[in-house]
This record gives sequence, structure tokens and C-alpha cells, in this order.
Amino acid sequence: MTREEVFEQVKKILVETLSVDEEKVTMEARFQEDLETDSLDLVELVMTMEEKFGLKISDEEAAQIKTVGDAVDFVMARLGA
Amino acid sequence: MRGSGRRPYTSPHEVTDAWSAAADDRRCVRVAVDAMGGDHAPGEVVAGALRAAGPTLHVVLVGDEARLRPLLPGGVEHVSVVHAPDVIGYDEEPVAAVRRRPGSSIVVGLRLVHEGEADAFVSAGNTGAVVAGAVLHVHRIRGVLRPAICTIMPCMPAPIAFLDVGANAEVRPEHLRQFAVMGQAFAREVMGIAEPTVGLLSIGEEPTKGTPDVIEAHRLIAADPRVRFYGNIEGRDIMNRTVDVVVTDGFTGNVCLKTVEGTAKAILRALRETIGLSPLTKLGGLLLARDLRVVRDALDPEEFGGALLVGMRAPVVIAHGNSRARGIEQAVRMGRRGAVSDLLPSIGRELGADGGSV
Repeated sequence: MTREEVFEQVKKILVETLSVDEEKVTMEARFQEDLETDSLDLVELVMTMEEKFGLKISDEEAAQIKTVGDAVDFVMARLGA
Repeated sequence: MRGSGRRPYTSPHEVTDAWSAAADDRRCVRVAVDAMGGDHAPGEVVAGALRAAGPTLHVVLVGDEARLRPLLPGGVEHVSVVHAPDVIGYDEEPVAAVRRRPGSSIVVGLRLVHEGEADAFVSAGNTGAVVAGAVLHVHRIRGVLRPAICTIMPCMPAPIAFLDVGANAEVRPEHLRQFAVMGQAFAREVMGIAEPTVGLLSIGEEPTKGTPDVIEAHRLIAADPRVRFYGNIEGRDIMNRTVDVVVTDGFTGNVCLKTVEGTAKAILRALRETIGLSPLTKLGGLLLARDLRVVRDALDPEEFGGALLVGMRAPVVIAHGNSRARGIEQAVRMGRRGAVSDLLPSIGRELGADGGSV
């Protein structure tokens, strides 16, 4: 999977599951400050990412994911790309 | 001589009986029930669920099979059991509990709904866990930013819808606007109020009164053409039925709800004690007994069963923790009502269209 493909998948989850405005989703966007998500939203994002990408994300790892870019980087690292 | 005056209260039965009255509504709805949640689980939960079960309502009891099967009468119909070995306790942190206990009756029940094995879910267990579990497993309708717990609050002359009573401690103005839309849909589809009016709870009638968030919410709701917005209402207007739907944040709503319940109990207790004072007052009490019972029933939270978590992709009903059989029965019937009514499609149409924000 390319970086762009992972970004599009993460964006899709944010828009369809968390009802985030599509145009706000950029690599630099911060979940809390820019996308206005709360802690439950982030858990839902992590769980959906686990399902979509076939990964397991620990609570400690999830706590490090603060921006869309962090989420994409995490998936890329795990997928070994 | 009898029946010459109009009763001040609509009996709760008039609302809930309408849930089973629709002649064209013969669809069988499967309601998953957390049989292990609540102060009186599983005995009272199973008893209440059995009372609700019938040809158009199939109950799926979720919990420890070994404890549930002995509670079912032989040859019982319209009931099945799904085993869940674990239970989420009242004192557990909701999100952690939902994540770490996939075998709990709450998570197993919600997964049944997610997988299409049930159409609605009811629980009298840990409310925070039910809300977190619902968000994580059933998911919000697209466009809904935050779900809200919407309760039917007894009122003169008829009940009102009141939300949020505890899903979100803090909200933004946009959330309150969405609560107005969802509460209006709830009042129409679940309570049968034809054209519900909506009020925003504040500390004064003028749009300039309230916290900055409430003032901004007022502006957003007033500008939303879908909402029949009355304007701000104050605490005392709630029980005077100034509007059909009252919108507030979860902290305020929870405090309000418990204040109203506590006040009603205190007044009823004072009435009972006054009636018991002397032979004369007892005679008076006897004359009033039947009509006062209607008032008492109308104020009884058990009669409406529970509250609906609006904004989810399937009906999730949160029953009072101290629900007995009657409360559970009504909560289960509310679950069915949420599934057969236009509530969910209506919310999907109204909030999905604008992607959640104005």
C-alpha cells in the first residue's frame, strides 16, 4: 500500500465513521485541535484502523497518535512499507 | 358526576400503548437485552423481557447462560439466549471496560446488533459503558457528531422529550444544534407528537442569556430551518410544558433529571404522610386514591422504561439501573419502537445531508 492509499483510507474512516469534514483532513491536521475529536472518537478511529488494516494497536501506541500524519506513519511502519 | 374534570396528566400508557397499536406494524423485531445489567439482574430483567416478548417482538437475552436458562419457563416462545460469560461492573471505567471485556453482556449484545443478529439493544447496566460500547460497536449515524441520551419526562398535561441526560458532560454549540434535530425526531417518531417544538435550556429567555456556548447554540438552532425552535426556556418552564423537546448538555440534563425525579418523590411522600395524619385526611385520601394513582404512575420513571441513545445506527435503550420488570418491559418496547418508526432514517436524512456542521 502506498502512503497516499493509506492516507485516503484514514480519511475515509474519519469522514464516514467520525463525520469529520473532508476538507479538514490533511496530514498535518491534529485530531483534537483541528478535527475536534474527543477521546472516544480516537478509540473508535483506532479500532476501525485495526479492522481495516489488519493490525493490533496497543493503548500506548494509540496515545502517541496525535495527527493524521502520525496515523498514516504508524500504519506504513506496521505494514513494512 | 364522575369524569367531569380533565385529568392533569396523560397516562404514560397513552404514549406506550401507541407503540403496539399501529395496525400495519406486524414486523417481528429482535431486541437484544443485557440480562446481567442492573441492580435487579438477572431475575427482574428476564421477567420484564418475557412480558415484552411476543409475535412481533423477539427477545434475545444476553448473559450467563447457566443463570438465565433456569429463569425461563418451559416452552417459552419468542425468546432466545446468547451466552456472554463476562459482566462490566458499575464502577469500571467505560472505555477500558468495553475494550478489555469483549465477552461482557453489554459488548456481546451490541455486537449482535452490529452483525445484524438483533435490531435493537437494551441495558440497565453501566451507562457509560453502554454509550462507549454503542459508539465503538454500533457506530453513529453518518453526520452525527455526538449521541445524546434522550428521555421521556413526565409533564402536565403530556410528557416531553429531554436530552442530553448524560452521554456527554461537555458539548460544543454544534452538538446542541444536532440534539435539537434528533430530539425533535424522537418526539415525533417515538412519542407521537405531530409537530414538536424545541426549547434550549438556559438561564434566561433572551437569546443573549447563557454561557457563550449556549448563546452560540441558540444562534445555530434559530438559523436551522428544520427545527421548530421556540427559543430559550428556563428550568421552571420544563415541567410547565412550554415546549415539547428540551435541549441541554449532558451535565445539566443529568442534574435536572435527577432533581425532577427527587422532587416528584418528595412531593408524593409528603402527600402520603399528609393523607395518613388523621381519620379525616385518610377519608380524603380514599376519595382521591384512584386519581392520585394516575399522577403517581405518570411520575414513575419505570412507566417509560428508559431513555434512547439517539444518533446511533440502531436503537440503544438505556434503562434505569434500578429497573424492575415493568421498567425493563417498557425499555424493550421502546427498543422495538425505535426500530420500526422513522426515527433513524429521519436522523440520517436530516444530519447526514449537511455532514454534521452548518
